[in-house]
Amino acid sequence: MNVYAPPRPPPKMTEAFEHPAGFIAARKAGGATQWRGKLLHIHVAPSASYEMEELQEAECVAGRGIIGDRYYNGTGTYSPKPDVREVTLIEQEALDALSRNDPPLQDGPITLEPRDHRRNLTVVGVPLNHLVGRRFRVGDVILRGGRLNFPCKYLEELLGLPLFLPLYNRSGLNCGIERSGIIRLGDAIELLDQ
Amino acid sequence: MTARLIMKLRVEKMRFTTPDVLHMQLVHPLRPALPEWSAGAHVDLRMPDGRVRQYSLCGDPDDSSKYEIAIKREAAGRGGSIWSHENIREGSEVHISAPRNNLPLSAKGERYILIAGGIGITPLLSMARTLKRWGKDFTLHYCARSASAAPLLAELRDICGPSLQCWFSGSGPRFDPAAIGPYNKDTHVYICGPQRLLDAVQSALSEWPEDQVHGEVFQMTVDENFKPEPFEATVVSTGARFLVPADKSLLDVLRDNDFVMPSSCEMGVCGACECGYRDGVVLHRDKVLPSSKRQDRLMLCVSRARVSVTLDL
Repeated sequence: MNVYAPPRPPPKMTEAFEHPAGFIAARKAGGATQWRGKLLHIHVAPSASYEMEELQEAECVAGRGIIGDRYYNGTGTYSPKPDVREVTLIEQEALDALSRNDPPLQDGPITLEPRDHRRNLTVVGVPLNHLVGRRFRVGDVILRGGRLNFPCKYLEELLGLPLFLPLYNRSGLNCGIERSGIIRLGDAIELLDQ
Repeated sequence: MTARLIMKLRVEKMRFTTPDVLHMQLVHPLRPALPEWSAGAHVDLRMPDGRVRQYSLCGDPDDSSKYEIAIKREAAGRGGSIWSHENIREGSEVHISAPRNNLPLSAKGERYILIAGGIGITPLLSMARTLKRWGKDFTLHYCARSASAAPLLAELRDICGPSLQCWFSGSGPRFDPAAIGPYNKDTHVYICGPQRLLDAVQSALSEWPEDQVHGEVFQMTVDENFKPEPFEATVVSTGARFLVPADKSLLDVLRDNDFVMPSSCEMGVCGACECGYRDGVVLHRDKVLPSSKRQDRLMLCVSRARVSVTLDL
């Protein structure tokens, strides 16, 4: 069965390095080097509020997003304000910390499965908070870090979990796609020169 | 306003419980456990053309492996049930939201009277399961034309035993609200069925406190005398003012102005588009808010205002 998609223009994307955060960071040296990470999971949602679906590989389209995802389809929950949302990433390390209740902000550990956090890519060994204004490679695809992701109340409501505070400052990275291509589970992730 | 996850579920089993009511079991193809729910809850079924319909869950709230719903073919309805009857088969994929409960079962009572009319049995069947588990005293009055036209009768007999009292109008007396008995401070009454059943019971129990008489009707009341008037809505956070013309809802106008608002039934029965307000004389018109919340909450899909209203947005 097809997902109903009301006729609506696709979301307006801000070029990642034109976003105020990306713009400033891209003009400054710094950030983390000497790391090498890995792509653990790829998820897309066909429309706003729909459960995420896991893919083994996915096609990333520059300026648009991941084929099959709500932002590519123009069926997401988004404000008309242009933003960086072609691809979103989150660190497996942040999910692990939640499952240890670290820091102990909640009554107990929170299990946030990769299929539930609503970011597209779950990665390990990638210092996402240092990649604003940086270019990096996932397989053959080149991404540009535009801004830090920010936890939203919508996710709390959708999952019925108190996620807002524990995801604060480790909610992931919103990226633009510089070079289109296919990404696959297990792809290496590396920093590129500016 | 709460967002709810939408899942692609699979129809595991399906059968006709009466000639015009389909009873189906839905499972998640990947997850062993579905989101939790309690008796009285409903889910949204989303059709491929964007229409959304609410169906009460009639299965066992303690069994998280599946949801059960029953859909009556309503020839004179808005078309949702006909779509379901014509398109859903065993093995079909259906798009179902996580459950929401607008008719929660109070645990405070000592005795419970459940009154169902026809397909209105669905939430009350799950309540009967829960009450039995809680070890509470209850009676379920079931109104239908005949045994063969009464959905889920076999399950009910199995669960309720002597607590089930059937009122089949084709072969015996109609339900008389006198059967509820005198007022008791520990008795809770739940009604689900057509508007006239709800009206009859509520008027018979007009002396009872509101928090002991609970009703649900999944059908908008058509008030032919209501003439929508334009009014002005102010958004408290930004001071923005919008004119709501007579032929548009508050929800429409907010969406036209780029507010992303959740909604579901858009006829004042599901509760998805609940919103706070600060001042203004609100004409509520919905079927879901209890009067205790009407002072400062409204439903954007059907509620209107006299002259102006300030929204907590």
